[in-house]
Amino acid sequence: MVNEKVLIKGNYAIAQAAVNAGCQCYFGYPITPQTEIGEYLSGKMQELGRGYVCAESELAAINMVMGAVSTGVKAMTSSSSCAVALMQEALSYAASDELPVVLVNVMRTGPGLGYIYPAQGDYNQAVYGGGNGDYKIIVLAPSTVQECIDLTYRAFYLAQKYRNPVILLADGLLGQMMEPASFGEYPYPEVDVSSWALTGAKNRDARSIYSVAREEKKQIQHIYDLHKKFDVITQNETTFEEFNIEDADIILTVFGSMTRNIKAAMNVLRKKGLKVGVFRPITLSPFPHKRINELASRGKDFIVVEMNMGQMFKDVKFAVEGKVNVDLVNRPCGEWLSVEEIVSSVEKIVEGRKQYAASV
Amino acid sequence: MQQVFSIPKSMKKDFKYTFCPGCDHGIAIRLVAEVIDELGIREDIISSTSVGCSVFLYDFLDIDCVEAPHGRALASATGVKRARPDKFVFTYSGDGDFASIGLAESMHTALRGECISSICINNTTYGMTGGQLGPTTLLGQKTTTSPTGRNVDYYGYPIKIAEHIALCDGTAYSARVALDTIPHINQAKQAIKKAFQVQLDGLGFGFVEILSSCPTNWHMTPEDAHKRVREEMIPVFPLGVFKEVSKDGN
Amino acid sequence: MGKIVIDDSRCKSCYICTMTCPKGLIKKSSKTNRLGDYMVEFNDEKGECIACAMCAKRCPDLAIEVYK
Ligand SMILES: Cc1ncc(C[n+]2csc(CCOP(=O)(O)OP(=O)(O)O)c2C)c(N)n1
Ligand code: SF4
Ligand code: SF4
Repeated sequence: MVNEKVLIKGNYAIAQAAVNAGCQCYFGYPITPQTEIGEYLSGKMQELGRGYVCAESELAAINMVMGAVSTGVKAMTSSSSCAVALMQEALSYAASDELPVVLVNVMRTGPGLGYIYPAQGDYNQAVYGGGNGDYKIIVLAPSTVQECIDLTYRAFYLAQKYRNPVILLADGLLGQMMEPASFGEYPYPEVDVSSWALTGAKNRDARSIYSVAREEKKQIQHIYDLHKKFDVITQNETTFEEFNIEDADIILTVFGSMTRNIKAAMNVLRKKGLKVGVFRPITLSPFPHKRINELASRGKDFIVVEMNMGQMFKDVKFAVEGKVNVDLVNRPCGEWLSVEEIVSSVEKIVEGRKQYAASV
Repeated sequence: MQQVFSIPKSMKKDFKYTFCPGCDHGIAIRLVAEVIDELGIREDIISSTSVGCSVFLYDFLDIDCVEAPHGRALASATGVKRARPDKFVFTYSGDGDFASIGLAESMHTALRGECISSICINNTTYGMTGGQLGPTTLLGQKTTTSPTGRNVDYYGYPIKIAEHIALCDGTAYSARVALDTIPHINQAKQAIKKAFQVQLDGLGFGFVEILSSCPTNWHMTPEDAHKRVREEMIPVFPLGVFKEVSKDGN
Repeated sequence: MGKIVIDDSRCKSCYICTMTCPKGLIKKSSKTNRLGDYMVEFNDEKGECIACAMCAKRCPDLAIEVYK
């Protein structure tokens, strides 16, 4: 039964996956294109006797999540772009407090209110954060409805395993799209939180979770510790997907639902005789710098295709350390880049590179 | 000889308050600790602490605490309570935290009737940042950001917190007390106890606003500061119980 | 008859207790703490303390223990 395929919208898939993952509380405030998550969970959580609050704002919602997860339960909020901006303060606190907050961002267009067109403009917001201080968030980017389910499961697991906030970075296209997918069972073990969760100081010393540090030395050590932890996360949890990488001269690099057209574009380009592969980071943070650098060392050029002004593009450039060419095919938001657009842009870039090579 | 006054059991061993000399925060936290002892709830508590002079609450009380960003203690407490409805949840914050930056969270927690208890220290200023104009600063009061005194044209009016909270249907108890005299201190303790009891009885949100001195930022001796509470604050912020729902629903 | 003990390590010399004791048994002392503030001392030669605990209840720093 659980492996049965159902036709389901991305937002509902995320919501039901949260339920399956054992999410005990949901707190949220409406914003298109993710409102269905809160709508779906309002009924579901009450039916199951779990926690649900229509929060008065996103500020309140994410702080409610922080309170809930501090007691050792799984909890989440979901929102979109300009409203996720309101949550940045809390994410910085949660990272420093090492609270396993799960936040779903179904991206829309920005800056400002923008509009409800899909976009990938929150890559920087998610990966680099808008909160203060030196902190890191785990960012997972699904590309299909199936992956919305799988990565929601993983988000809850990683958050508790590493005591670190996790963002599931989807977009309006994925949130609103229906696709066949199966839920399966929550595939991860339950994480033991008993050593830190707040449950009342019964038969043990009182515990406090806080980020304020009066002593300079402690603060310095705390930041080092957080970063050491992220090194471990980078070691263990960096994931990506590759197609036709081995013989490729050019690697199209994408994240999230942009992956959908890219495979078709790759096939067209291959038919035209260009050796093209696809590389897709699944964890945007930790970012697969190491793997990209390896591929660059083998002389493979990169073309980043994304629906923003070149946000992941910078990370790929950084990763290749100047060894190969990195170009950008993009649009800031709106209609996803079509197969034809990608193909012609890539051809233009390849032509440009040839001419440049001939001229020097 | 028998000891007739001692430090409450729910205070941490060897705690040292970090407040300024003569600051009423110290008495307010002692009263909270005494109520915790008397109700026997120490082991069931998860408290959300806030930002302000009260930020180090977990250094003083021997209870589980999670911090919240400035103004978000009530949201954090809501999360705790929804996750663990069987636990006792309270917040302790300044008026700036509770009624300025966190006013939306505070009011909505009361409106939802969360079974949470909240203590708010009204000292008519932002103490921790050095005495700026806050939501409760009295008309005419000089602060570092109202150097010639609070006037309505530039700064508007102070908020009467306990009355506002009493207007929320989810509130089970709302009172205002002071700490300037022994009788007032005794009343304050009874009010804190009631605000805690309504949570234990599942009646809704319990709230106490405590008029407190901030001798440092008022530039007064502790004794003069208490005189100010009596002569200037209480006339504007009258003491009393503004709402009390009893077990039989009245 | 009563008695109080003042914990000098907690006392911050706010002098609230000196103004609270109905018998006037707590006074500024000539000793100073490490900040240079005059500390307070309990002096009850005539055994007047009634252990009312008013000083302790108003001490913001919980520096006073009361015995009866
Ligand atoms: C978002 C944010 N804004 C401002 C501050 C700086 N800040 C710290 S405490 C405080 C005022 C606290 O005043 P209040 O809540 O009245 O408590 P008190 O210190 O008077 O006890 C301010 C403005 C902060 N920490 N976070
Ligand atoms: S600044 Fe005011 S409120 Fe803060 S500890 Fe000092 S006296 Fe108390
Ligand atoms: S009231 Fe307490 S802190 Fe103040 S002087 Fe007396 S003993 Fe010291």
